[in-house]
Amino acid sequence: MDWTPYIGAIFGIACLFFLGAAYALHWAHKNKQLENLEEGAMSIFDEEEPAGEQTDFFPGKLPKS
Amino acid sequence: MSASSSLFESFGSTDNPALSVRAKLSEVDDSMRLPAVFFILASVAWLLIGTVLALLTALSMHPAMDTVKLGGSAAETMPILRTAHLNAMAYGWGNNVAFAIAPWIMGRLCKTRIRHIPILLTAGVFYNIGVLIGIVGILAGHMNGPEWLEMPAYATPLIAISFAMVGVWVIVAFRWRQSDHIYVSQWYILAAFFWLPWLYTVAQIMLILVPVRGVVQSLTNWWFAHNVLGLWLTPIALATAYYLIPKVLGRAIHSYYLSVIGFWSLAFFYNWAGVHHLIGGPVPAWVISAGTVASVMMVIPVLVTAINHHLTVVGMHKQGWASPTIRFVVFGAINYTVVSLLGSAMALRSVNEVTHFTHFTVGHAHHGVYAFFTMIMFGGVYYMLPRILHREWPSASLIRIHWWMCAVGITLMVVSLSIGGWIQGTMLNALTDDGGVLVPTFSFEEVTNSTRPYLIARSFSGLLLTFGHIAFAISVCWILLKRSKPDNQQPTLLSSDVN
Repeated sequence: MDWTPYIGAIFGIACLFFLGAAYALHWAHKNKQLENLEEGAMSIFDEEEPAGEQTDFFPGKLPKS
Repeated sequence: MSASSSLFESFGSTDNPALSVRAKLSEVDDSMRLPAVFFILASVAWLLIGTVLALLTALSMHPAMDTVKLGGSAAETMPILRTAHLNAMAYGWGNNVAFAIAPWIMGRLCKTRIRHIPILLTAGVFYNIGVLIGIVGILAGHMNGPEWLEMPAYATPLIAISFAMVGVWVIVAFRWRQSDHIYVSQWYILAAFFWLPWLYTVAQIMLILVPVRGVVQSLTNWWFAHNVLGLWLTPIALATAYYLIPKVLGRAIHSYYLSVIGFWSLAFFYNWAGVHHLIGGPVPAWVISAGTVASVMMVIPVLVTAINHHLTVVGMHKQGWASPTIRFVVFGAINYTVVSLLGSAMALRSVNEVTHFTHFTVGHAHHGVYAFFTMIMFGGVYYMLPRILHREWPSASLIRIHWWMCAVGITLMVVSLSIGGWIQGTMLNALTDDGGVLVPTFSFEEVTNSTRPYLIARSFSGLLLTFGHIAFAISVCWILLKRSKPDNQQPTLLSSDVN
């Protein structure tokens, strides 16, 4: 049995994954998502859950401030 | 953005300012309450079912347990139970908990309320019906051969459609994001929800509906099975760790640059790695070599992720120990580093010759799916549920029991299977020169008997995990059924006035 077409198909699918990732990287660069990264690291904090405050403790173990 | 916008509007232009309203975290949490509770309940049910199936699998090999056999000898029964266990854990527990945690994190990072809840719930109901039909089908003897795709073909369309529905929903949430920056967790989640439906659909077509034959079947099977770990479970768990570690500690990730490198290198390299499972098989050498190279290349994302996770926690171990979320998530993050580096080593031909077809591989699978993925998901549940329910966890003791049972249990399991598997592989490969002819040094019985102490340790570790799962299930049911006033003063903090 000639497996070449099947291996080629799998290889093609793998290549599509690779190209998909390449396109996403291009999109990220174009939309300036790869700039000011350290600022981006702070994007998970806001006024409800600010940086510098621990937000999870065992029940009943919240330290008194 | 209105939570009640129509489906048509959600797929339309995002320029409409009336629909683009930035949501508070507490609003996102509230909007996610119903689907999250549904998926968490489903995941806990499957976790318990999977645990029972694991115990039955172990007992089915015991001569005194003839009553649990489905029919015939233990050799016939054990593979069926073991397969049902794997599918209950992977598709039942793993995917349901991922469907609860990942969309919630995506919504919080996109700062957008969860919309079209009925669609998400419909997908969840159909998904779980599909998994139930699939596992009953496996137990009835209708299972397919390819690993991780054993569910009968009549169950899988429901599952595939549900994957796509949840995936589309996540993409809709991403489209309507109100945050300027795309945090690394968003990249991981978005990519994972693209990859999973793609992987599953291609594998179903090539392996079940129009099946390829021979070694190509194995090639496709391991392309799928390994990518489910690396391109679905891994990104979901890493997204959770990248979100929760800095969030709980109130400290930004150590090096955000490295986290971005880690994501993109995973996206580029991981997809090629699965074929290292076929080392020694009749597969073109270049295919195996490509898989081995990709597996070793995975050292890059693993190391940058390890540096990031561990250096973020450095100096805050005491604070981390005080948080149930951090205990579980950091345990998982540490094991991500270890299991991934071991995985890269196992892709080397010289190492694979020893570990292949031994308990080492079984230990490695549990290391990845449980010690890494599942532990991080436990941490995610401990953080998410109090915030979406506005209720405190009812018992710190139950959380501690859960933590210790699971941490000790999975460590014992991985260590015993790894040591036992390595000895098993070494003995299997040992050859003796018998008058110019190389013959096996050890008989099959000697090799099998050498693994007994390690398998006994594994059984004991399974009992510890069972106790941990029961404690977790009690906690989840208790917090859901508990009657208490919502704590609206500090909706994102655990209150101290608990009973």
